[in-house]
Order: sequence, then structure tokens, then C-alpha cells
Amino acid sequence: MTINLDPKIPAGDLSYKWDKHKFDSKLINPANKRKFTVIVVGTGLAGGSAAATLAELGYNVLSFCIQDSPRRAHSIAAQGGINAAKNYPNDGDSVKRLFYDTIKGGDYRAREANVYRLAQVSNNIIDQMVSQGVPFAREYGGYLDNRSFGGSQVSRTFYARGQTGQQLLLGAYSGMMKMVAKGKIKMFNRREMMDLVTVNGKARGIIVRNLITGELERYAADAVLLCTGGYGNVFYLSTNAKASNASAAWRCYKKGAAFANPCFTQIHPTCIPVHGDYQSKLTLMSESLRNDGRVWVPKKKDDNRKPAEIPDEERDYYLERIYPSFGNLAPRDVSSRQAKFRCDDGVGVGPTKQAVYLDFRDAIKRDGKDTVAGKYGNLFEMYERITGDDPYKTPMMIYPAVHYTMGGLWVDYNLMSTVPGLHVLGEANFSDHGANRLGASALMQGLADGYFVIPYTLGHYLASTPLEKVTIEDNAFKDAEQAVKLQTSKLLGIKGKRTVDQFHKALGHYMWDYVGMSRNETGLKKAINGIRKLREEFWQDVNVPGETGDFNLELHKATRVADFLELGELMALDALERKESCGGHFREEYQTEDNEAKRDDENFAHAAVWEFTGQNSSPIRHKEELIFENLKLATRSYK
Amino acid sequence: MSAANTMTLNLKIWRQKNPQTEGKLVDYRVENVSPDMSFLEMIDVLNEQLIHKGEDVIAFDHDCREGICGMCSMMIDGKAHGGFKNTTTCQVHMRMYKNGDTIVVEPFRANAFPIIKDLTVDRSAFDKIIMAGGYITANTGNAQDGNAVLIPKPIADEAMDAAACIGCGACVASCPNGSAMLFMGAKISQLALLPQGTPESAKRTLNMVHTHDTLGFGNCTTHAECEATCPKGISIEHIARMNREYTKATFTYYEKNRSEGGA
Amino acid sequence: MMTSAVNHYFCSSIGRKQLVAVTGLLLCGFLISHLLGNLLLLAGPDVFNIYAHKLVSMGPLIYLAEVGLTGIFLVHLGLAIKLNIENLKARGGKQRYYKKTNTGHGTTFMSQTMPLTGLVLLVFIILHLLNLKFGSYYPTTVAGVEMRDLYRTTMEYFQNIGNAIWYSFAMVCAAIHTAHGFGSAFQSLGLNHGKYFKHVKRLGYLYAVLVGGGFAFLSIWAHMKGV
Repeated sequence: MTINLDPKIPAGDLSYKWDKHKFDSKLINPANKRKFTVIVVGTGLAGGSAAATLAELGYNVLSFCIQDSPRRAHSIAAQGGINAAKNYPNDGDSVKRLFYDTIKGGDYRAREANVYRLAQVSNNIIDQMVSQGVPFAREYGGYLDNRSFGGSQVSRTFYARGQTGQQLLLGAYSGMMKMVAKGKIKMFNRREMMDLVTVNGKARGIIVRNLITGELERYAADAVLLCTGGYGNVFYLSTNAKASNASAAWRCYKKGAAFANPCFTQIHPTCIPVHGDYQSKLTLMSESLRNDGRVWVPKKKDDNRKPAEIPDEERDYYLERIYPSFGNLAPRDVSSRQAKFRCDDGVGVGPTKQAVYLDFRDAIKRDGKDTVAGKYGNLFEMYERITGDDPYKTPMMIYPAVHYTMGGLWVDYNLMSTVPGLHVLGEANFSDHGANRLGASALMQGLADGYFVIPYTLGHYLASTPLEKVTIEDNAFKDAEQAVKLQTSKLLGIKGKRTVDQFHKALGHYMWDYVGMSRNETGLKKAINGIRKLREEFWQDVNVPGETGDFNLELHKATRVADFLELGELMALDALERKESCGGHFREEYQTEDNEAKRDDENFAHAAVWEFTGQNSSPIRHKEELIFENLKLATRSYK
Repeated sequence: MSAANTMTLNLKIWRQKNPQTEGKLVDYRVENVSPDMSFLEMIDVLNEQLIHKGEDVIAFDHDCREGICGMCSMMIDGKAHGGFKNTTTCQVHMRMYKNGDTIVVEPFRANAFPIIKDLTVDRSAFDKIIMAGGYITANTGNAQDGNAVLIPKPIADEAMDAAACIGCGACVASCPNGSAMLFMGAKISQLALLPQGTPESAKRTLNMVHTHDTLGFGNCTTHAECEATCPKGISIEHIARMNREYTKATFTYYEKNRSEGGA
Repeated sequence: MMTSAVNHYFCSSIGRKQLVAVTGLLLCGFLISHLLGNLLLLAGPDVFNIYAHKLVSMGPLIYLAEVGLTGIFLVHLGLAIKLNIENLKARGGKQRYYKKTNTGHGTTFMSQTMPLTGLVLLVFIILHLLNLKFGSYYPTTVAGVEMRDLYRTTMEYFQNIGNAIWYSFAMVCAAIHTAHGFGSAFQSLGLNHGKYFKHVKRLGYLYAVLVGGGFAFLSIWAHMKGV
């Protein structure tokens, strides 16, 4: 099977492409929309907004979520804000600048047309969310407030305290609930997608596990929308929720959906450091803290004084020193890497020496404690709850942690994967953030895809594609279900000696040590071999207790880890093949003299798109060349 | 972390195989608990031990583990989420306990929250309350500019206070009456405060309150235990605002039956 | 819609709570007038008996008031019992948690004992009516008018130490009941506003102390004074 990587970018001037494309797309009349059924997997910002909007348009939507309610999808945990090119602060923002910042922030590894469209619809998102009752922060005059975020020199981030993701998600969720009440969305909670069902090459349904009863269920539809988020949990420790996983996307990959740029992982610079091997997840402290917090380490190695006792001249405010124009607001990949370099140099702080300070002393002195508390009070409380330290008195300790995955299933301009009918939205796709995502852009992308892109492109697909009648009694469904059943009984039958978490943690160590913030050929090869070996051991020695017909939490974890063990290898392979440094992908062999990422635009200005060829054969690396017609490829500099 | 700092804890955990069988408290002992561990990490450690012993793991709901998704839900020592101010179960850390403590862990209990297994309960009744009107009917594409309607900062802030609800159900679990008034009040209040929400406030309030009453939740008698255990510190003032909205709606909201025909 | 919304109101949790609140506040008002009347005991038998006689001589008005008061009381009682039964069911039966601890910032002794103090008051009111209103009838003549010597009935009643203690106990219950009920009624009626509510709550406590204390004081005073 050859895959078609035509991005289907409309012709014409960048700023008219989307308008033209919308006009050229086929429509379905309202009476006919109700004849179509669409499956939406995941209820985060992308899935929730898509399900609500498609149902409003008249489609029948089947919506699936892994939690007990769609309101709990992990978009909820986004703290800082959402970008839009409103230019309310009158500080020089525009659609074009948001487009430019996003492409540059992504280190020129994203598709121009997609990113431009994202910037164009960003303003509609703010309007839509305000109309749905999202209580964004306001000025005393009643106008919307903005703050600034990493990687940008304008204030374009809208926020609702430190809970922006929650408020946006609840907005999308409320829209969904409205349509559930109207019967246009059928909601399936506590369901996990186990496989994609294709009929005649087109995505026509899914197999899910009812997590309560353990039973497998089949659902058929005219198209499938995958909105299942990223795969950061392959590292075991990440800021992702515990249930966030790659399985839905991975099963689609194995059914023919190509996977793009799997190695592009975002390591967020401001997380609470790891404190022990029992640790189950990492907690992010919003990037907005870098607006007022200053990042530093002691100049001296093994400086065991309390931070307050270290005078200014013995502190290295390294971000301000290296990047005077962006300072503490340097983009995430750059800030994370610099923190790692400091710790590698031995000037890290805290009991593990794997942390740097984020200090609010000067902000408190300048603006007063109340002002600082007004902006970050809830984040400070959260920090204190977790660490027992009071950030008003002593600097926070932070360290980078896996946060987001820019890679994902390859999609064209219509958000359709290489499997016809399978559309991929939000973090699950690869499209908009290149090699590094800017802060407050994930929320923007999820909602852009769900609210303003998919309603047009899906309509066009359904209107222009002949769709045969399909029922869940078809062989394709039976076969897919049977395969899942086999895997389940295999996992339950091993009854080995090691727990699922032990394997997951072992995988996480390989990933963090060799496929993390800084990568090199030797390490990546080590990771590939190590993960292969670990995978073999997993299938011989994992212990999944219990039976299937039950609420079996260990089984749920086991199926996810089985897929992570395959995905991890692909990530390492992709990192190995990308012989350049760009964005979050830093290859030690490819760096400038002052340790900055060295891109190779001549050979790697493309998305690496991986095609699955079978369980026992190597995947094929295809390329989608990225064509920059509007921006000149330049070395990213935040100095 | 040095071994000197670690603790040994006695746990009494509610085990119940499924909704049909009877449950009971089972004693467990966990050793080498670090004070830096979160409560859920301590249960993780216990679960790992159970797997090695070939026993069924303790089922509990959790997801984000940073206090925002609202999935975690335990009565720890008789208090929802452990009873620490503005804290969810996942944010409870073991430094809040002492070596040798006995801790009772039970599920959130209420008639409207049937137990699924062990510490996991079914909170879908909350979704049903929201379905009854916890939204603003603003279909995608309708919206005017975000700044077209100004919202005074104190109003926006008050709405945000209410909107902070994570839907965890601690209010119901700790309410001596098993009432969901704080959950519902927060949503009704948020949407009634915002100008965008007022056009359908009356209908929303009537429908949500009537739905609440059919789901097996109790009636508010102003204990305010909900407010005290709410991990987001939501005030019962929002219940009062709902009560106000409800009275107003009952006696003023009127919708004639009209045919919507046209040429 | 309108009629159904109004109908719903009388079945809904909030509507019924508000009826309990309104009737509760009306009963609070009645208690004040009752206390003021009783304070006339301090002024001696004649003043008190004239006051009592004036009340019963109001003809149909007093019957109307009595019927009204009984109605208010029955609504308050009936709905409170119904809501409590529902609440017991809603929380998942009697043995709900193996261990349940209050945070100390919400539930109070007052809020928790509402049904109990309410029941004490119910028993009290029945006995109170039997012992006093329908108690021993002593005729007397004040300023040439023949009337009931209710002063004597009352004072005799309190000579029994058991009666005086029971009465005082019931009044402490009334204080506890109204201390929570007063503020709670305002909350139920939607009159909790951040700016004023703490004063409303304080007013409730003040009311409870004055009214409960006032009645209890009178019972002790009457016992000490003797006939």
C-alpha cells in the first residue's frame, strides 16, 4: 500500500486560502445532514467542540470518553491561557504576527497554510467562548484582559485565572450537554477505543471497551474523528493525566494512518521537580509565572546556602543573560534545555540537584505581595500544597517535564489522515506546532480544529465520498473485535512477575534518558534496543491480575503500556533519522558553538511521516516537504 | 528521602466488588511511606503490593492528579478529599499525616452516586443536571465580538468563583442531606451573573432544579458543609443566588404556545 | 408553563424549603409578640389578665389568627418532616459512612439538631396548649370585668420544678432551632449576599438568645416568685 501525502493545500494567496477552500467545499443540506453519523473519540477541547458543533449542524454524533464524564478530559488542566490575534492591547499584534510567531516558535517545521488558518480563526474562538459564558479575566472597564506568554513579544493571551483550560473545556462540554439533551449526541462515558474499523479502506467504525463491564462494543458511522490528545505519557512521568494514552492513535497507525514527527516532544520548563521513584506524575506550574518570576541558579557549584542567602552577584539569571530580548519568556524548548545544561554543569539546586529557582522576590518587592497573589495566588497555593514550601518566602524550584507532543497522526489541510474518513483533531494530529508549540496555543488549536475547521472539511468529505451501507455485524467489525479479544486474553494469561507500572517506568527511563531533552545517536540506538528488549519481556513477564468481565484497572493500563512500548521505539527511530536539531528535538551532534539548536533546512525541512508495515517489519519513513512561500526560513533567535 | 522520615500507616479501605455485592472495610498496612508522597501515590504503592500478592487492586477514580479534573473522590477519615482547605484527594500529601496513623478511606456516598467498585462511584447525575440547562445556547458561529458586551470586573470575578467548580461531588458526599445544591447553584449562579447567560436564565433554573429533584439528591438545609469541603472554595452564596433566580423564574417566567409557521 | 412552574414550586426542593423558611420566619414573629405579652407577667396579675382578656375578646379576629397560626405551624412542620425523610434517603440511609467527621467550618450543632429541636418544640407546644391555654380555669374580676385568671394558671404551673425545667429546656431548644433557622431562612429565600449576610446571621443569634432566653427567664422567675 502506498500512502498519499498530498496536503491538499488550496492554491492562492495565503490569507485567502481558507476562505476559498470553504467556498470550494461541498455542502450538505440540513435535511440530509441527519442521515450521517459521526464518531468522535475524546471530549477534550477538540473533541468536545467538534461534537457540539457537528450536532448543532444536524449530524448524529456518537461521542466517547475515557473518564466518567466528558467534563474531565485533560484539556481541563491547561492553566495559562489561550492565544488570539485580537490586538486588544494595541501592541502590534495581527493574524500575520500570530502566524509568524507560531511558525518561528515551531522552528519552521509546520505547514504554513494550516498555521495561517489557525491564526485567522483564533479570534472567533474568543468570541465563541465568551458567548458560551466563559468568565475570562476582565479589566475594571469590563474589557477582556490579556497577558503575555513565552515566545512572543505581544500580549495576546486570554485567561481565566489559572484555569483557562478548565473554563474553555466546560464551555465546550456545556455545548455538548445541550446537544446530548436534544438527542443529537449520544454520549458514551468510561469507554476506551480499542481499534479502528475500516471498510473498503475507509474509516467506518470503532471497537471500544466498556471500562466498567470490560465488554467490547462495536459502533459504526460514516466518519471517525480522533480527538484523543497526545502521547506524553510514553515517558511515564509527564504532566499528562494518568489516563492520557496513545492507544487510539496507535491502533489507527496500525490500520494505515501515517504517524508524523513522533519525536517532536515538548518539555515544559516550569514543572515541580521529581521527588521520588514512587512519583506518579508531574505537575506543571503555569508558564505565565515566567512573566514575573526570574529564573536563576547559583554561580558556584554545590552552593548549599539557602536561596535568600545567595547575593545577586553570585546568582546566574541565565535566561536573562543569554536571551536579553526575551529574557525569562524565552520559548519552552529553549528554556527547558538551558535548565538541563545548568543542571548538567552541576549548579542545579534542591536535594536532587535537578532543579532551578524561579524567584518572585523582585516581583513582590516591585508590585507588592497582593498584586502577585492576585495574579498567581492559586498557583502559589498549589505549589505549597505539593512541596510544603511557600513561594512568597522562598523561590520555587522547577525543572522541565514532558508536557505536550507536537507529533501525531499525519493529516492534510482538511484534518484527514491517510485513512479516508479518519480525521484527527487537536494534539492527536501533527499539523500546527512544528517542532515546538508556543504557550497558550494548544487550547487555540484544539478549539480551532473542532469549532471552525472540521465542520467545513467533514461536510465536504461526506458530500463527496461514496459511502457504502455498513453495520456492526459486518466482518470488519467482527474481526477487529476478535483481535482485541485475543490481545486481552493474552495479557491476562501471562501472569508474570512484574507489574504494568514497573514496565512503564522502565520505558519512561529509556525515553527520558535517551529520547528526552537532548538526544544523540548512541543513546537513541541504546533506547531502540532497550525498548525492544523490554517489549519482549513485557509479553512474557507482565502480571495483569483479575478477569476481563470486570472493572479491571490493571488491564486498562496494560493495553496502553503495550502500545507505548511500540510507540517509544518509533519515537527513538524518528529522532535518530532526523539528523538536525530543531525546536524540542535537540541532537547533540547538531548544535552551534553556544549550544543552540542547528537546523538543517536543506535536508530536513519536511515532516517525517511513518508508515506501519507490519508487526515484524520496519516502518517506512516518508516525507512531506514543507514549502515556505511567505516566510523566509531564518535561524530562530530569542537573543 | 532518608528512611528515618518514612512512616507506617494503617488503612481501612472500603472494598466492594460491584454494585450488587455488599462491601466492607478491609485493613491494610503500608510501610515506608514518604511524607512527600501524595495520598494517591501511597495507594499506588499499596496496589503494587496487592498485585504481587495476586490480589485485586483497589479501584479508585483519578486522572489529572493536579486537582482540576474532579475525577478523584475519596472520603478520607470521614471528610471529603480529606478535609484540607481547597484541596482535592490527589493533592493530599502524606506529610499531612503522622507515623502510625489509622486512616479510613471510603467512597463518596449518596443515593444519587451509586458505588461501581471499591472507591469508585457513578456521578453521571451531575451530567444530567447540566444537560437540563447548564449551558448558554450559543451555537458555533453566532458570537459577536468578545468585547461587545462589557462585564464589570467584580461580576466576571464572581462568575469565575462559581465557574471554578470541578464537579467532583464532594459537596454531595459531605452534605448530611446528599444534596447537590452547591454544584447546581454554582452553575446557575455563574450563568445568571454573566450577561450572556441571562436570556435563558429563568428556563435554565426551572429545568435544572426540577431535574435535580428527580435524581435522588436531597434538599438543602444550609449546613454549609459543602462550602467547607469544596476543593475550590465555592460559597453557598451561589446557592442563595440560585434560590433567588428560582423564585423569580417560578412566578414570572411564561411562555405561550405559539406556532412557528411561516411562508 | 406558568401554572406548571408554580405547581412545581410546591413540589420542588427549593420551593418547599422557601415555604419552610417563610413559615419559620412568621413563627419567629409570633414568638416575639408572645414574649412581649408574657413579659407583662412581670407587671402583675391585673395587667397580664387584662391583656389576655383583650386578646380573647377580639372575637372572630382571634379565631382567624389562631387558625392562621395553626396553618403556618402545620405547613412548617409537615414540610420539614417530609424534607427530612427525603434527605435521609438521599444521603444513602442511616448508616452512611463508617466514619464521618465534620470539618468544623460547615455543619454546626445547631444545624445538625434541627429535626430534634423541632420535635421537642412540637411536644412542647402540645403540652403547652394543654397545660396553659386549655389548663385550669380560674375566674377573676379586674376593674369590674369578669375574666379568666390566666396569671394564676401560669404561676401555678411553674411552681412545679419539673414544669419549670422542662419549659426552660424547651426554650433552649427553641433558641438552638431559631439560631440556625433564622439565617437559614434568609439563605433559602435567596437573601444571602456577601455584603450583608454575616449581619443577618448575627441577628439570628441575637434573636435566638433574646427570645429563648426571655421565655426561659420568665419560667425561672415565675418558679422563684411563687404564687
